[in-house]
Amino acid sequence: MAQVVFSSWGRDIIDNRAGGEAKEASFRLPTTFDGERSMAAFMGWDGIILYSKDVDVPVMAAEYMKRVQTQYVCGKCTPGKKGTRVLMDALARIVSGEGKEADLATIEDVAELLKNCKCTLCPSSSVPVRDAVQHFRADFLAYIAGNRQPSGAFRFIDKYTAPCQDKCPAHIDIPAYIEAIKEYRFEESLAVVRDNMPLPSVCGRVCPHPCETACRRKNVDEPISIMVLKRSASDYEWQHEHHPPMQPKPRKSKTVAVVGAGPAGVAAAYYLALEGYPVTIYEALPEGYGGGMIAVGIPPYRQPRHLLQRDIDIVASMGVEIIYNTRVGKDISLPELKQKYDAVFLAPGAHRSKPMGVEGEDKGYKGFLKGGIDFLREAYMGRPTGMGKKVCVVGGGNTAIDCVRVALREGADESTLLYRRSRKEMPADVWEVDGADEEGVKFEFQVLPTRIIVDANDQITGVESVRMALGEPDASGRRRPEPIPGSEFVVECDTVIPAIGQDADLSFIPADLGIDITKWNTVVTKYVPLKDAAGKDLKDGMGNPLARTLITDLDGVFAGGDAEIGPLTVVACVGNAHRAAKVIGRWLEEGKAYLAEDELIEDILTYLPVYDKNEQVPWLDSAAREHQGEVHGKERASYKNYQEVELGFTNSQAVREAQRCLRCYRVAMIAL
Amino acid sequence: MVSLTIDGKNVTVPAGTTILDAAAQLGITIPTLCWLQKVSPTGACRVCAVEVEGVDRNMTACNTPVKEGIKVTTQSEALTAARKKIMELMLVNHPLDCPVCDAGGECGLQDACYELDAVRQDYSAVLERRPIRYDWSLLESDPNRCILCEKCVKVDHEIVGADAIAVVNRGEATIIDTVDGKPLNCEFCGNCIEACPTGTLISKPFKFRGRPWTFTVTKSVCGFCSTGCQIEYHSRNNRVERVTSSDTTYNNGNLCINGRFGYAYLNTPDRLTVPLVKEGGAQVSADWNRAMTGAVAKLKEIVAGAGPQAVAGIGSPRVTNEESYLFQKLLRDAIGTGNIDSEARLGYAQAQAVLQGIFGCTGASATIDRIDRAQAILVIGCDLNAESTGVEYRVIKAATKNDARLVLANMRNVKLKKYANAHLSYRPGAELALITGLMKAILDEGLENKEFIAAATSGFAALQGALASQQLASLAEAAGVSEASLREAARYLGKKKDVAVIFGADVIRGGGVETVKAVANLALLLGAPMAENGGIFPIEQKNNIQGMLDMGVAPDHLPGYRPAAAPGKDLWQIVAGIEQGTVKALYLLGCDPLATFPESDRIRKALARLDLLIVQDIATSELTGLAHVVFPGAAAAEKSGSFTTPDNRVQCLSRAVTPPGDAREDWDIIGELISRLTGAPHARSVAEVTVEMQEASGIYGGSCTLVDGRCSGLTKAMPAAPATYAFSAATVPAAPAVEPFTLIVGPIGFHNGSMSTRSANNLTVSPAGFVEVASADAARLGIVDGGSVRVTAANVSITGPAKVSSRIQAGTIFAPVHFRDLKASSLLPANATSVGVKVEKA
Repeated sequence: MAQVVFSSWGRDIIDNRAGGEAKEASFRLPTTFDGERSMAAFMGWDGIILYSKDVDVPVMAAEYMKRVQTQYVCGKCTPGKKGTRVLMDALARIVSGEGKEADLATIEDVAELLKNCKCTLCPSSSVPVRDAVQHFRADFLAYIAGNRQPSGAFRFIDKYTAPCQDKCPAHIDIPAYIEAIKEYRFEESLAVVRDNMPLPSVCGRVCPHPCETACRRKNVDEPISIMVLKRSASDYEWQHEHHPPMQPKPRKSKTVAVVGAGPAGVAAAYYLALEGYPVTIYEALPEGYGGGMIAVGIPPYRQPRHLLQRDIDIVASMGVEIIYNTRVGKDISLPELKQKYDAVFLAPGAHRSKPMGVEGEDKGYKGFLKGGIDFLREAYMGRPTGMGKKVCVVGGGNTAIDCVRVALREGADESTLLYRRSRKEMPADVWEVDGADEEGVKFEFQVLPTRIIVDANDQITGVESVRMALGEPDASGRRRPEPIPGSEFVVECDTVIPAIGQDADLSFIPADLGIDITKWNTVVTKYVPLKDAAGKDLKDGMGNPLARTLITDLDGVFAGGDAEIGPLTVVACVGNAHRAAKVIGRWLEEGKAYLAEDELIEDILTYLPVYDKNEQVPWLDSAAREHQGEVHGKERASYKNYQEVELGFTNSQAVREAQRCLRCYRVAMIAL
Repeated sequence: MVSLTIDGKNVTVPAGTTILDAAAQLGITIPTLCWLQKVSPTGACRVCAVEVEGVDRNMTACNTPVKEGIKVTTQSEALTAARKKIMELMLVNHPLDCPVCDAGGECGLQDACYELDAVRQDYSAVLERRPIRYDWSLLESDPNRCILCEKCVKVDHEIVGADAIAVVNRGEATIIDTVDGKPLNCEFCGNCIEACPTGTLISKPFKFRGRPWTFTVTKSVCGFCSTGCQIEYHSRNNRVERVTSSDTTYNNGNLCINGRFGYAYLNTPDRLTVPLVKEGGAQVSADWNRAMTGAVAKLKEIVAGAGPQAVAGIGSPRVTNEESYLFQKLLRDAIGTGNIDSEARLGYAQAQAVLQGIFGCTGASATIDRIDRAQAILVIGCDLNAESTGVEYRVIKAATKNDARLVLANMRNVKLKKYANAHLSYRPGAELALITGLMKAILDEGLENKEFIAAATSGFAALQGALASQQLASLAEAAGVSEASLREAARYLGKKKDVAVIFGADVIRGGGVETVKAVANLALLLGAPMAENGGIFPIEQKNNIQGMLDMGVAPDHLPGYRPAAAPGKDLWQIVAGIEQGTVKALYLLGCDPLATFPESDRIRKALARLDLLIVQDIATSELTGLAHVVFPGAAAAEKSGSFTTPDNRVQCLSRAVTPPGDAREDWDIIGELISRLTGAPHARSVAEVTVEMQEASGIYGGSCTLVDGRCSGLTKAMPAAPATYAFSAATVPAAPAVEPFTLIVGPIGFHNGSMSTRSANNLTVSPAGFVEVASADAARLGIVDGGSVRVTAANVSITGPAKVSSRIQAGTIFAPVHFRDLKASSLLPANATSVGVKVEKA
């Protein structure tokens, strides 16, 4: 990759225009936009990065401000609406040869005034323009003097985003839905959510909300309660008996089959159905259990069934047929689907519990349950779980926490969680762990089960465990827990539930179809080869290639969700499946599976990323984060009490919380 | 409480207070432009920017809450410069048509520029002009003048709930426009005009009627519905040219179409300007002396011949308390008959007697501002938008801003539905079954207010017993709703501290006394009377029905509700008396029974039998054509006196203009008649009548004083609440008869009574009556939107254009009550708002 010619990104000026020894700079950007076209420049809220010296900076700045003003400025504050227009017109005057030197002063003056704006879009957009005027003044003056003509050699691609929106795997337009709530427009808010999230009641409740880790309000005090606001928008609709307003486009003739009615399957089906495609979902579980892992893996005290069902029913009402009780690979084969439909989307999820690796787990002992996810499913479906009175769950993820909490509700006298690391290191969400604590779950941290203890009838009586301590840092620098010799002890119990993870059961994919599967049991899909300066492929947080088209090696077959990403979250599956739905649409219409420019720039920005935890955000921290109501006390986990624990915001509370949002929109533009 | 320093002064305010409000407490004014107290802060104009020590940017005072210990600066060189530059930006390409702009002289932008010293323009941008919306009714929008303060959009959305306008487009092209770009289609309340600080949104009828400062502004009370909104008449050359209201009023400056635009009825060419007398079968103009002499002579002749009981009078909820008082004095004292009643007999009089018996109060148990903060609200048998728009605004506020749960029980899908947590769309005539079902569900779920019931009621056990023998399922079936929906509604309403029960015409007029008792029982179950924020609120469409009853315009009681020694004939007995020939003379004061009364065909025939029909009204009509004597009276803008709302607020109206031609204020006409009949001197001023009326009623008091230019100070004494509230015996509801079609007759938001159908303004958006037919029924009957429909009940038919709609249940049709041409209520039996009918394509 070419060296950086100039950069003001992050307020560090690197200027290699004069020649001499080049100053090094590297940014988390690919060398090409799409594996082919080189990046010439990047312009956005934090400055300018020039890779090509041929980029005409005044023209780029004028184009950037024109796009900002005419496409993105909301017009809802005076400096933003008028000031960016003054900037746009001044820049346009300059590059058309009619500018004056005073225009440069006006640009600086207005850029300063834009600090008074209501939100972040206009001030952040003035940053690279100001950089351009300051650091490329000679180029501007050349235009003003009439010594220069614009060159149209570069193509510009822009993207309107925000840190939260960027971080959300489904890329929900979070500032927009929060702004709608702030304006008491809950229906509009929900419509915005649905543009990227067809399961709002779910992701308003059980989402791990990565968005909130990228909320700029966090740089002031605490992040916005983005997830609960989504719930507020979603609850408003059913609490007011409103009918969802979506109308699918006219019915198309090409058809799509989806394997699995989980978050990915349902999301892909929803967006394809809105486009008019007849979609049929094949689901192994019986009717009433649509939702995949949400239905059978998330207990009703976190996700009320009737609301999940409502979300599923709404998706179905868009023209999606869900065929229940039908396991692909058993009741109908994948080749049959392939033959019957124009496209197939594989979203079987990851429903297979992983083994624990403890002595005795394969002996068929009474009281040793198959796995956490299986236990939750049986409990949810009202079937015997095989659980006794003293339950021991092994694991540290959300599933393990769900198991200990469900065990209480299924009548366990004691519910204990064994985890080999510390509480702080648990992958489970903090609030879930706290919830379990409040309900009386016992925790044994930093212990490793070593042996299952049984009586003469092969009935479990306990788990022998050993205490763990952190050892020396390994090659990766991470201190691994190691057993403390002689610290063995026995946790008495009659039931052991291993909940240490799950993976996909892909046995329904015949080996001869040509669909490749990774060693982690995920389906391989094609991707756009984006590489960094060192030539390495860019990867997402799960280690998958960054920009995937989600088509498998078999034409017409796509894959998504946990079985493609690896076991992750509802929101990740929804985002991934929404992307798949768009690619499937292109494939059906054009015969090509590719990523649109908007999707490529979206992925590139996510890699960058948009949020900067070190940014100083000047704001008065006088409005504290609102907290939703919650049912407290052990009674909430009494026998068969699956009443929802979290109560959401009142609407006025939601509005107050929404008023805290800084609306951190910003515009990035790439020159190719 | 939070303490902070503003410009070096300490202040302590409740947490959550904005810097702007905290500064106001110190008497520090921070400039604002887009801030409007009654809606959520927008933060658009940025001129309220202040400095907070330690925060590296300006914060806007209007939407920034205070924080303990902060030091705020509201005036500095930097702030002045920033505010000035922002104003300059605001003025970039602002049109310079101030000389002919409607807002000239009352423009918030002009004021702000002047105040912030924005006297020059350093910025420029390419000029783009946006088209002016001349194609809207009643309003005109010039987006070029708009400063995007969003006040209009917020008032439209947050207060009115019409959601007709929005911020559209991006960048400099951003404007306020209709949501769909089509011509404005809303309630035409014009509250957005009032909110607009510039000449962007203007009133078409007012455009070019004069410069704002050339009008005489008279603070008065609206004479349409019974919300009792405080208004300002702007008049010039003895014509009212616009009506406004201020945000500092009881109604927060919010009006409806009638309040803001209905004034055009004052200027209708149909106004009566001279007295008329019938001579040889023809009506001729007469002077007052001739008309009065004739009327008095004829009255005396009838009294002499057939006794005073041969005379009857029907009063009006449109006239003032003073006029109502004089009217009953005329009939009772000057003529000697107790035959006096009014349209309150269609339901409100009986309903209020029931409420008085149980709650001790006349009308509502509390003032309507208590609704704002109720936790749960039931609106039953009432389209608030049409019956009392101002109360609807309060319900919307409670539901949206203050987290109230709202249950709407209405046969139709009325506007409030979108705010309702539950909509009980019951079968026509099933009000009693529905209310009984709600009570049953409340008791089943144990949601009644046990504390209140135990402490302050009697007769609960009997009610409980009566309800125990009924099945929720059968009540639900009779009401035409699901059992689950009744239980859900019960959960929304039950176990709340502050409950408001609001009921309207379908209960009051349609349901009858037993239904009103059931509503009262329901309110008692919910503890509504003891609610600090809530109560029981009967809703009436016409402004002074409460004051009229207070003044004894009723056969059974005198002013102040003292019982009449010998009750006279009520409305229907008067009609029967005319039919039987025992009533020979009838005095109709501001009352046109041919326009909107049930059984109007029967009444028309009866009127023809009278020896003397005196009609005192403001405009010509079919009715005045039948009269032997016509006295031209005055409309609300043309008189002084007082009105009383159903929630017992007594408010003075002030005369803005004089009545047209020879027309006179009604108290003056009646007063002179009394004088001519009795020889007693005629009151010289309305103030004299006020004092007399206060003494006679025993419940009115106070004296008029001007507060901020508005006359106030009159009071009405409320009786103490009873020691215990008695539950009424439960009536077992019968399932309403199944009709192939049921016609529902009621008001619509665009009109009030028949008065607004004389307003050219209202008629531009709602010109004529219609028959609303459910789409499924329309398809079945071959009726198309706009096509003609005939509706027949018994032997009366009406014909009107169809409005095919999804807002009503199949099997029901709806027709607005207001239109003389449609005569929808002529199909109704005496005390009903619905009737079984035959519907066909005409």
